[in-house]
Amino acid sequence: MAIADVKEYCHLTPEEVEQIGAELDAIRAEIEESRGDADAAYINRVITVQRWMAAAARIGMIVSSPMDKKVRGPVLAASAVSLGLAKILENMEIGHNVMHGQWDWMNDPEIHSSTWEWDTGQPAEQWKHSHNYIHHQFTNVLGFDNDIGYGVLRMAREQKWHPVNLGQPVYNALLASLFQWGVALHDLDLEAIRKGKKDPKEMKRQLKQIAKKGRNQILKDYVLYPALSGKQWRSTLKANATANVMRNVWSYLIIFCGHFPDGALHFTEDELEDETRSEWYLRQVLGTANFEGGKLLHVMSGNLGYQIEHHLFPDLPSNRYAEISVKVRALCDKYDIPYTTGPLHRQYGQVLRVIHKLSLPNKLTQDDKPPTGKDITVEHGRRQDEERQQRRLELGGWSRSAS
Amino acid sequence: MSRVDGTVLFAWDDGALVKAKVTQCALSRVCGACGGSLARPVAFVGTAEEVGRNAFHAPPLHEACAADVRRLLDPSWETVLTGGFEFVRPAKHDEDKRPTFEPNSLL
Repeated sequence: MAIADVKEYCHLTPEEVEQIGAELDAIRAEIEESRGDADAAYINRVITVQRWMAAAARIGMIVSSPMDKKVRGPVLAASAVSLGLAKILENMEIGHNVMHGQWDWMNDPEIHSSTWEWDTGQPAEQWKHSHNYIHHQFTNVLGFDNDIGYGVLRMAREQKWHPVNLGQPVYNALLASLFQWGVALHDLDLEAIRKGKKDPKEMKRQLKQIAKKGRNQILKDYVLYPALSGKQWRSTLKANATANVMRNVWSYLIIFCGHFPDGALHFTEDELEDETRSEWYLRQVLGTANFEGGKLLHVMSGNLGYQIEHHLFPDLPSNRYAEISVKVRALCDKYDIPYTTGPLHRQYGQVLRVIHKLSLPNKLTQDDKPPTGKDITVEHGRRQDEERQQRRLELGGWSRSAS
Repeated sequence: MSRVDGTVLFAWDDGALVKAKVTQCALSRVCGACGGSLARPVAFVGTAEEVGRNAFHAPPLHEACAADVRRLLDPSWETVLTGGFEFVRPAKHDEDKRPTFEPNSLL
């Protein structure tokens, strides 16, 4: 369904829709004008804390190796947890947000979307395509947004059911525990490769990038640091694996809670091309879901508990989402637009219910969210970039005549 | 991936900007000329008027690619360097329905 057909939106007049857009523009302008030293200090502080946590963990694993088993065990456990938390912080609050360009305005050579390479299997360049562009531009549009189930899970009733979906609870557990590798392959589009649709040159280029990044990740966590622990290399290897699983499960949980709780709607491609900025804003509000929690939970989630605000303003500094959320919620109340939020456990409970229900054919289960439209079925497979784009001449004669 | 080879520019088709590619450049943070990952500083090219109002229609570019784009499309364009930029989608009331880029940390 196009945004204009969404029930939750139909009560708004075109003037109100534009007024909502103008009010969101004003929120954005206010943050742009006020961002400065305090925000820069925040991200520098987070990076410093993260690096100390990672360093302490690595040192802990090495220095504990000659220690007595009774002492070594707790030190190793603490180091594994510290490393896991450092990886979570690096991926969620630092890497994800830096790569959105949230901190480019600082003009810092290191903390910049063009230079940051994060501590996970997927190369930054591929993430910026699959996430920043495909997911953020086509948020929750069926057949366009590849994050609807990551090509592994059936997460919308409109996606055609197949007997292979019966295994969803198992695939879900595997995806959660191996999330960094699932994400690493996300931009490749395995189905297109299988069907021979993928440009072989691009496939080769992407595979080379993934192999290089994956090799470095494996060498670091499973060869180099264990080797530094000497005879106790096995313990360090296990501690590193534990830290990676911690990060995998946590990032999976946070990401899935952003778009699959009951209140987050799906859309079809109608009108996508001619969507105005206000309509784009509304699709972001209606297609995403927040979760509630304290400041620490939000920092460890990359402030993605403010998923609605993140989707409205993906390139504004994440430390400002909390204050933005107060204004966005007030705006939603004012115009009677749903603002989906709830405790993390409830949001994930709804995600789990969707995963289990949609492992079965639609006729055996009931829908928990407003239907996307009548008789809509989305076939398997993704669109290639070329299929997403219609040729539109933008600059007119003045640029053509110069060419 | 397209490369500047004298005829092919990633976000342009026959000298005209392709809207979807412009959006892709903005969000994926890739160069509008060669399609590769952007580097710092980010370059924008445009007319004196665009420079004056700090809002560009052409997508972000590598500094070296900016020179190629000017050479290929319009040598009278000017280049502006920045650390970051805002991507501004057109609003319904805007006469100009093209998205624009506003550099936010000019160098």
